[in-house]
Amino acid sequence: MKQYIVRRVGYSLLSLFLLSLTIFLFVRVTGDPVSLLVEPGASPDDIETMRRQLGLDQPLWVQYGHFVASFVTGDLGLSFYYRTPVLELYFQRLPNSLLLAGVAMALSLLIGIPSGILAAVRVDGFWDSAGKIFSLLGLSLPQFWVGLVLILFFSVYLGWLPSSGSGSVAHLLMPAFTLGWYFAAAHMRLTRSSMLDVLGSEYIKLARLKGLPEALVIGKHALKNALIPVITLAGINLVVMINVAVVVETVFAWPGIGRLLYEGITFRDFPVVQGVVVIGGAMIVLVNLMVDILYALIDPRIRLES
Amino acid sequence: MRSSQRHHEVPTASVPYPRATRRELLGLAALGVLAAGTTLARAANGQLVYASHISLAPTWFDPAETPGIVTPFMLLYALHDGLVKPMPGNQAEPCLAESYTASADGLSHSFVLRAGVTFHNGAPVTAEDVKFSFERYRGNAAGFIKEKVAAVETPDPRRVVFRLHQPWPDFLLYYSSVTGAGWIVPKKYVESVGEDGFKKEPIGAGPYKFASFIPGVELVMEAFDGYWRKVPTVKKLVWKVIPDETTRLAALKRGEVDLAYSIRGELAEELQRAPGLELKPVLINSPFWIYFADQWDPKSPWHDARVRKAVTLALDRDGINQAITLGHSLLTGSIVPKDYEFYWQPPKIPHDPATARRLLAEAGFRGGFDAGEYYCDSSYANLGEAALNGLAEVGIRLKLRPIERAAFTKGYSEKKYRNIIQGGSGAFGNAATRMETFVVKGGAYVYGSYPDIDDLFAQQAAEIDRAKRTAILHRMQQLVHERTVYAPLWQLAFLNGQGPRVGESAFGLISGHPYSAPYEDVRLKNGA
Repeated sequence: MKQYIVRRVGYSLLSLFLLSLTIFLFVRVTGDPVSLLVEPGASPDDIETMRRQLGLDQPLWVQYGHFVASFVTGDLGLSFYYRTPVLELYFQRLPNSLLLAGVAMALSLLIGIPSGILAAVRVDGFWDSAGKIFSLLGLSLPQFWVGLVLILFFSVYLGWLPSSGSGSVAHLLMPAFTLGWYFAAAHMRLTRSSMLDVLGSEYIKLARLKGLPEALVIGKHALKNALIPVITLAGINLVVMINVAVVVETVFAWPGIGRLLYEGITFRDFPVVQGVVVIGGAMIVLVNLMVDILYALIDPRIRLES
Repeated sequence: MRSSQRHHEVPTASVPYPRATRRELLGLAALGVLAAGTTLARAANGQLVYASHISLAPTWFDPAETPGIVTPFMLLYALHDGLVKPMPGNQAEPCLAESYTASADGLSHSFVLRAGVTFHNGAPVTAEDVKFSFERYRGNAAGFIKEKVAAVETPDPRRVVFRLHQPWPDFLLYYSSVTGAGWIVPKKYVESVGEDGFKKEPIGAGPYKFASFIPGVELVMEAFDGYWRKVPTVKKLVWKVIPDETTRLAALKRGEVDLAYSIRGELAEELQRAPGLELKPVLINSPFWIYFADQWDPKSPWHDARVRKAVTLALDRDGINQAITLGHSLLTGSIVPKDYEFYWQPPKIPHDPATARRLLAEAGFRGGFDAGEYYCDSSYANLGEAALNGLAEVGIRLKLRPIERAAFTKGYSEKKYRNIIQGGSGAFGNAATRMETFVVKGGAYVYGSYPDIDDLFAQQAAEIDRAKRTAILHRMQQLVHERTVYAPLWQLAFLNGQGPRVGESAFGLISGHPYSAPYEDVRLKNGA
C-alpha cells in the first residue's frame, strides 16, 4: 500500500512538472508581451527596457527556474500587467468563482439529473426526445451567444436583471444559468445513459419481479448506482467551472478566475496564465490522487494489481 | 401588483397573517430578487460610473511607471497632476507650476510652483517632490530624458530648474506628456510606504483621491475638495471593467453605467439609435497609413511614384470612414497627428479611380497587376479589407495578410515584410519624433530613406529658432507627401457612449486624448 501511494504521488508530481513545462513554453509561443505593453511605434530602447524589467531578457531555462522556484515557495511571481502577486490576484477572485461554480453546478444537477432520469424512464418517448433536444442545444449553443441573448432579453428588453458585474443574487442568475446549462446538458446525457444501463441490469429486473413499486425501483435502487458516474463527472466539472469559466465570466464581467485567465491571455501576462493553469491542474491532480488512494483503500484488488 | 396590494394590507396585531401558499412565496422571492437587481443597476446620485473596455492596472496609479501608451493617463488625470500637462486648448498648460520659462540658450528650464497646492494627504507640493518624481521616473523614454538632463536644482521650495547638457527643443514635450516624469508624487509619502505601498494606496495632487481598487474589476475615487483648479462636482467616480462590448452597451442602456468606452461598428449605430444615449467620438492621435516598403527597390512596381500615387487616389477614404467609424475619423492625409507640434497640413487627397488607372497605365500596368501581400495588424484587418476593395477596383490586386498585433509589430520593426504594410501609431511626440521613427534613416520602422529628408531632419534637430525649425519640419512633411512615401488612410476616432445623466463627459476636451479629462470638468446633469 505504501509503495502504491508513493508511486501515485510520484506520478502526480511528474504530471505537475510536465504541465508547468508545457504551459511555460506554450505561453511564450503566443508572442512577446512587451509589444502589448507599449504603443505601436515605441522605440527599440523602450521595448528593451520593458523586457528587462519583466525578466524576459534572461534565457528560457533561467525564466523557467524562477517560475518553478517561485511555485515551490508558494509565490507564483508578479503579474506583468497588474504588478501584483499572482497568488493575491487568484485568491481575490476565488470566492466569486466558487460562488458562480457552486450555483451553476447546483442548477446543472437540478436540471440535468431529473431530466436524465425522465428521459431514461420514458426512453424513445416525448420526454426522451425533449431531453435530447435540450442536451443538444445545451452542448452546442455557444456560451457567449446564450449569455448575450439573456442580457438582451432580461436586462435590456425586460429590464429585470443587471447586465453585468457582481454583488447581489440578481447579478448571479444569468451567468450561473449560462454556465450551468452547458453542464446540465452533459449531466443529463450521462444520467440518461447511466440509468439505461442500470435499468437493464438483473437486480432491477428482480426488484420489478418482486413487485416493488416503480417509483421505488427508480428512485431508490436504480438511481443510487446510476448517479455514481454523474457525481464523479460533476466533481471534475466543478474544478473546470471554478478555473476556466472564461467565456461566461467575460461576457457578464463576473470577477472570477476565468476572467483573470482571459486577462492573462489577452495581455500575455505569463505569470498569471502559468499560475492559473498550474493551480487548476494541481487541483485536478490532487483530486485524482485522492480518488486513487481511496479506491486502493476500498478495493484491495487495485493495490494488489499495482 | 398583487404583492404590492398585499403589502398595504399588512394586518394589525389583532388580525392574523394570511397564510401564503408556496407558489405565492416563490413569486415574492422572485420579485424581491428582480427588484434588488433593478435597484442595484442604477448609478447613484453624485456618482458617475464608467464602463472601461480594458482592465485597469495598479501601475497606472504611479506616474513613475508610465509606459509608452496613452491608457494610464486615463487614471493619471484623476489621481495626479503635472507641473505642465496637456489641457483643453493648450498642449502644455502650467498646472502645478504657475509659470515656466526656458533660457535663451535653451540650456535651462525653470518652473515656479503654484502657491498653496497640496497632495491628498495635506502635504504641500514642493520643489523637492518635483525633483524626486523626476529622478524616480523609470517609465517610457526614462533613459532618453535623463541622459539629456545634467542637473535638477531646487533653489527654494517653489522653484525648480532643469539644466540640460545641450539645447533640446523638445524638453517640455517629453517632460509634460511623452513621459510621466513631470507628474508629481509626494516624496515623503512614497518613502514612508515604499513602492508597493504607494501602488496600493496612491496619493497624488489630482482632482480625485483613491478610495478602493479591485484589480481587473473596479476602481473607486472620491473628489478631492482641495484641488487647486476647481473642486469636482461629481463626488465619486467608479470605473467598472466590462470587457465585452455588447455588455458595455447593455449596461449603458440600462443606466448601470454613465459612460462606456469603445463602442464600435454596428453597436455604435445601435447606440446612436437608442433613446437618451449619445455617441461621443473622440479623435485620437493615431493615424493609419499604407507604407510602400519596397519603394527603394528599382525592380519593384512600388519604386515608381506613379504607382504609389495611383494607390493613394484609388482609396475611398470617405467610404471607409463611414463604414467603420461612422464618419468620425479624420482624413488628414498625413502620418502625423493633426494636433502635433510642427504639423503640416497636406492638400486633400481625392478619391479619383480614373486618374489612378491612368497613372497605372503610364507606369506600364494597364489593366492593373497582381501586387502581392498587404500586411496588417489583425485588430485593424477591417480597415485593410476596405482599402483592398478600393485598390482592386483600379486593378491593384492584393492579398490581405492580417497578423496578430505582437507578431505584426515585431515583423514591421525588424523589417521582415515586403511590398505593402498597413501601419499606424499612437506614440506621443511631435512631427519631429514621428519623422524620426517612420521616415528618417535608422528609424525603428523605416525600410529605406531619402537623403535630402534625412539632411533636413539633422538640421531641425540642432535648430533652436522655432520658426526655422517649423519651416524645416514642414518641408520634410511636404516631401513625404509629394513622393507618396506613404498613402495615409485616416486619423482614428475612438467611439464612446454617453448616458442620459451626464452633463459633461469631458470627452475630447483635451486634443487627441481618448478618455474623459480633465476630470474636474466632468459633471452630471443635476449638478451633483
